[in-house]
Amino acid sequence: MIARRRAGTTEIRRDDRDRLGPFGRFYVTFVVVAVVGPFIPLLIASFAFRWNWPDLLPSRWWWEARETARLPLGWDYVFSPVSRVLESAGNTVLIALLVTLLCTLISLPAARVLARERFRGKSFVEFFLLTPLIVPEIAVGLGILVTFIQLGLAGTFTGIILVHLIPTIPYMVRVLTSVFQGLSRDYEEQARVLGAGPLRTMWHVTLPMIMPGVIAGGLFAFLISSNIFLLTFFIGRGRIETLPTLLFSRVSGGGALDAVAAGVALIVCIPGIIMLVLTERFIKEEVFAKGFGG
Amino acid sequence: MTTIRSTLTLLLIAIAMIVGHVHAQPQGDPDAEAFRSAFLAGDLSWDAVLERAAAEGEVVWAHWGGSETLNTWIDTVVRPALAEYGVTLRTSRLTNTRDAVDLVLAEAAAGRGVGQGSIDAIWINGENFFTLSSQGLNFGSFADLVPNSQYFHFDTSNPASGPNLFDFGYPTNREEIPWSGDQYMCAIDTARLERSEAPADFAELEAWLRENPGRFTYVRPPQYNGNTFVQTVLYAHNPDGDGYVSFQNAADALGVDEFIRITQPGYEYLQRIEPFLLGGGGSDGMRGSPIYPEDQNGLEALFVNGEIDMACQFGMYNTAVSIETGRFAETAENVIFPAQGMIKNKNFIGVPINAPNPAAAMVLANVLASPENQISKLGTIGYVLGIDADLLTAEQQAEIDAVAPSLVGITYDELGAVTVPDTNASLVDVIEGTWTAFIERRSGSFEDSVRAAFADR
Repeated sequence: MIARRRAGTTEIRRDDRDRLGPFGRFYVTFVVVAVVGPFIPLLIASFAFRWNWPDLLPSRWWWEARETARLPLGWDYVFSPVSRVLESAGNTVLIALLVTLLCTLISLPAARVLARERFRGKSFVEFFLLTPLIVPEIAVGLGILVTFIQLGLAGTFTGIILVHLIPTIPYMVRVLTSVFQGLSRDYEEQARVLGAGPLRTMWHVTLPMIMPGVIAGGLFAFLISSNIFLLTFFIGRGRIETLPTLLFSRVSGGGALDAVAAGVALIVCIPGIIMLVLTERFIKEEVFAKGFGG
Repeated sequence: MTTIRSTLTLLLIAIAMIVGHVHAQPQGDPDAEAFRSAFLAGDLSWDAVLERAAAEGEVVWAHWGGSETLNTWIDTVVRPALAEYGVTLRTSRLTNTRDAVDLVLAEAAAGRGVGQGSIDAIWINGENFFTLSSQGLNFGSFADLVPNSQYFHFDTSNPASGPNLFDFGYPTNREEIPWSGDQYMCAIDTARLERSEAPADFAELEAWLRENPGRFTYVRPPQYNGNTFVQTVLYAHNPDGDGYVSFQNAADALGVDEFIRITQPGYEYLQRIEPFLLGGGGSDGMRGSPIYPEDQNGLEALFVNGEIDMACQFGMYNTAVSIETGRFAETAENVIFPAQGMIKNKNFIGVPINAPNPAAAMVLANVLASPENQISKLGTIGYVLGIDADLLTAEQQAEIDAVAPSLVGITYDELGAVTVPDTNASLVDVIEGTWTAFIERRSGSFEDSVRAAFADR
């Protein structure tokens, strides 16, 4: 859904700018406000010292109070080692990168076979690969935790990376399957006919052609992994904090959004935004569309 | 949320028990077993403990981590103090102490014995300690074996030792060592509610609520801030007139009939004021849906945003510290409420039986109990002393007076005059269960609610 909308918006901007009618303009404004809007109070709250109803803006700002404070306030706390924000950000990115890598390695062969071969039980395998999206994490999380405690994997990076593969592999396989479906075998066959071995064909022909799809799938895996709360919370058991678990411990309980919580919430968005910016130019829009339409 | 959490907990423990049954390994780590029995028998010198602690190299402390000031204090004071002994502090910041207790239970069910768990120390009290204790999952009676135990009264003949030997009326058996104190306090914002207008007891609260419907609420039990409010109501409405005294008995000793008799007036009061609480719908016969915030953060959000005029929660110096951090308006002040009794207790450092670094856990307990660190904690972040001030030097006592934050609007004498202890820990579940059935779910007669709560415990 989101992917399609994105693709649509970009097209309008690129080709039909002059013809953007009042409704189109309203629509674009609406999307921008809906996406950016929620960040504005967050940004203000992160710089507030005292911001209570009915004040439209903080009655006192962070920078007015920080000089006299005995303990770090607001952003000073967020960026101090005590808050563990940087540590958690490091963990989040490290875990997400490793998950993306492993997930790609596992999904590539699977997607290739699913896209090209016909075999008995294929539809069952396709369905089976989607089950992690159907079964709620909470239903399996507890069982996994108990098993992981036994195996000594609870509270370890290995354990967290393993559970992150569960919800990421289905997406990756789905995206890559449609990529392979759109890639004719002819190119590879021609390379083989011209004398290239299987590895060389893979490296020089297949991979370059599917790269945009791999990057799109990798982006998904990264974004999903860096946002998983429940499984990380269960398996990390407070020993390994990631940005989502850190944010949860800040905002659970329904309290006021204080400066630190607002600051952490803003920081949580950063890895995903960086990833989006880095990968955007590699991704062909149709990959997104196909990944979900096909 | 709370229901989900407790259901999850039950599931987790059930699964762990099934799995643990299959793989049960009752033997702990022999080395840790040897240390445990030698230390608890008093056969080890403190130097030997320090030596082992340095060899263990780290200590994992699970504590409620929802306060930046506390987290900062721990990292800047406790961490370096432990580093001097060659022990690295690793803290696990909890949103709910129950999570750490659940982990210990799950590990024990999975057959993790002495020295084979993942948590060395837990900031704990009340029913969480009661849970570990009733499952036999405490390390042992260590509290009077660490050097700084000299700053606590443990002599049973001395009434001053009560808060150290009883945690919610349940014997600590020296299996946990006090590290902080807590006091139930009520804050008002004098910009909205004059001191002279503020209710001073429950009768005045009811009258004031009828005049000002919706201007008060309390945290939803079973969260302890809410449960404590209910306890104070029950104390004040005890028909025997002896307030907290009847509630010091264990649930079994008290019996369900007696419990019904002494708590009925209190619960009826809670039912009576419900329509006048925030969102309660007022007196026009329409039953609204009162808003009970989930925890202290939720309650304070209502208070600072002007939805309620008085907020009651734990934290003797909460108002002073909250003004300093910008959370409360500068016009916030404490009041004495209710005059019939404001609950004060201590909270503790407990060590689970399967602590992976037991010697380092003893060193942590000792470091946290040092007068120097206790006074620093009081002065820097406004956490009440866990040690007993009368055992300190005159110099240290003077320092305490100098650094203690303000009580903002009330005096120590006024507060001391109305201070009462918690209920017995075994009553906590019954009080919560009755509140949930009778007040929140309105599921039947008072008597049925109590009997169900007694049966469920």
